[in-house]
Amino acid sequence: MTALQAALANKRVLICVGSGGVGKTTVAATLALRAAVDGRPSIVCTIDPAKRLANSLGLSGLGNTEAEVPASALEPLGVTPKAALHAMMLDMKATWDDLITRVAPPEQRERIFANRFYQSLSTALAGSQEYIAMEKVWDLRRRTDYELVVLDTPPTAHALDFLDAPNRVLDFLDNEAAKWLLTPALKAGKVGLSLFNLGGSYVTRALSRFTGTEMLQELSSFMLTLSSMNEGFRERARGVRELLEDKSTGFVLVTSPNPERLDEAIHFHKLLRQNRMEMTAIVVNRVHPLPTQAEWADAATLTPTRRAKVEETLRELQVLAQQDLEGMAQLRAACPGTPLIQVPRFGLDVHDLVALWGTGRYLLGDDVLA
Amino acid sequence: MAGLLDKRLWIVSGKGGVGKTTVAAALALASVRAGRRTLVCEVNTQERVSRLLERPEAGPEVKLLEENLWAVDVRPQEAMREYGLMVLRFETLYKTVFENRLVRYFLRFIPSLQELVLLGKILFHLQEKLPDGRWKYDTLVLDAPATGHAISFLSVPQVLLQTVPPGPMTREALKMRDLLVDPTVTAAVLVALPEEMPVNEALELHAALKDRVHIRTHAAVLNQAFPQRFTEADLEALAGHPELKRVAQAHHDRASQAVLAGTKLERNLHAPVYTVPRLFVPSFGREAVETVMGHLNALVTGGTGA
Repeated sequence: MTALQAALANKRVLICVGSGGVGKTTVAATLALRAAVDGRPSIVCTIDPAKRLANSLGLSGLGNTEAEVPASALEPLGVTPKAALHAMMLDMKATWDDLITRVAPPEQRERIFANRFYQSLSTALAGSQEYIAMEKVWDLRRRTDYELVVLDTPPTAHALDFLDAPNRVLDFLDNEAAKWLLTPALKAGKVGLSLFNLGGSYVTRALSRFTGTEMLQELSSFMLTLSSMNEGFRERARGVRELLEDKSTGFVLVTSPNPERLDEAIHFHKLLRQNRMEMTAIVVNRVHPLPTQAEWADAATLTPTRRAKVEETLRELQVLAQQDLEGMAQLRAACPGTPLIQVPRFGLDVHDLVALWGTGRYLLGDDVLA
Repeated sequence: MAGLLDKRLWIVSGKGGVGKTTVAAALALASVRAGRRTLVCEVNTQERVSRLLERPEAGPEVKLLEENLWAVDVRPQEAMREYGLMVLRFETLYKTVFENRLVRYFLRFIPSLQELVLLGKILFHLQEKLPDGRWKYDTLVLDAPATGHAISFLSVPQVLLQTVPPGPMTREALKMRDLLVDPTVTAAVLVALPEEMPVNEALELHAALKDRVHIRTHAAVLNQAFPQRFTEADLEALAGHPELKRVAQAHHDRASQAVLAGTKLERNLHAPVYTVPRLFVPSFGREAVETVMGHLNALVTGGTGA
């Protein structure tokens, strides 16, 4: 049994990570599709799929909700799935709003939504997209009956943002400094003054030279509002962190074989390992196969002009294939013990279910790149 | 068509994996070739420009790579330190404040502060002058983050101006915004591959830069385009050779895709598109970057597209 076959049969959560433009969305969608066909009710959460992929999954025009991919959409594959496939397109802002609605006391909600710090927390803060995507998966795991949740993560600017995101939220709530800052004001029922309980201390004065006094006051008031939701937030953030480290969660690192992507993949792999995350597999997408001897021989039988064109094309493919081979060797050496799975470059972009099915054959080892 | 040499800040962005760094390195070389002191900035990433140009790594301090070409990898910790020192003036004061546990904790939660100091450092270098009053760097090439991150990165000054009460941070933000929106200073170059997603992202990026940051798209670069090679007659003649036909058809499809992508970009961006052909070289280093530069000459010096 290949690594991904085993994962599709046993894991509850698969998280596809990697830098932008390597085909994460395709791999995530393919994994969920295969699991559903094999009989496990599955859902894929994608961030921003290509329009045609979204269409073929029945996702067009949908908001932040789960939708079943209709059985009729799967007909062209000639397979009858044994379980339902669901898909959803994550809207980051809407997911943050849902989270606040669930966690915040009703009388606080409007105040939070209107706060300018909240508005940038939910859209612009580094790591906030990564956190909210993970939070959604945790929520789906808890509330629903999917046997497998596959997450297509946001294109991460920095690998650490992703791993660090739940810790940031937990730190925020559990930090001794925060308690010290916020507790006296909470007890006194005051809002926004706590920071200045430090008095006109040297540090506070210098800090406000850096940020401005009003800014400090407003931020501390926002932190106080959030602190009323501490328990709910803390429970969820802890849940998210546990989910990342859970035995039933696996990471699938997606990359393409060109050198700059590989460097990032190797770096990401190292960080995941250091953080004790389970590396299910590395998927190397869009690998160029070497032209075969038969193809060269066949080309030699063509008329001179056509022969020249075909041979030039084969030569180019050979250069690309050789580069990819070197990349694979480099990756294998840098990531010992993690299974590598190669998916060939298809003629055109993979954007429909039939093409996803073809990708799946390589992911699960039905087809292997020579 | 005016070339990039009319501007001083060249912002290169696009979807991840489209070759932004290669294009940024090629543009920087072209700027040097035009006799301009040039600084190329990477933002909090694994440094690649210096390696592409086969020079030692620059790191977080501005470093001379070769005559008239400097590089820097702008990283948060160092940028924060420089920014902090600029505002707080004294090393000891900086240490007291920034090495305070409470303060460090607090600073992490100030939205966009990290992006602000990164962008602040970059724009600071843009305004640096030599003792004789000339610009220290005539051109600054910014190898910007990929689409979504680029938009949030470059709109940080605007967002801060709307979010944060007036104070030292907003004064900095205002200065930054004025530089970014000045069309005589700043120009964006959007990079795409001839595929659906990268082209769509370039269009989205164009709209977001225009509407949210007020930065104009100067040109697009269509990277790794396959040239037309096989005619319909060629394909028909290969009917008896199914494997070769597949190879030829794939090439033909990718070449057609490049033509379509170029047209789509040109129509929607209202900006010229410069095509860089896919290079087939065993390893991608300085020589390859110089080849790419050759295809981008007209973009830099003006005149018609290649």
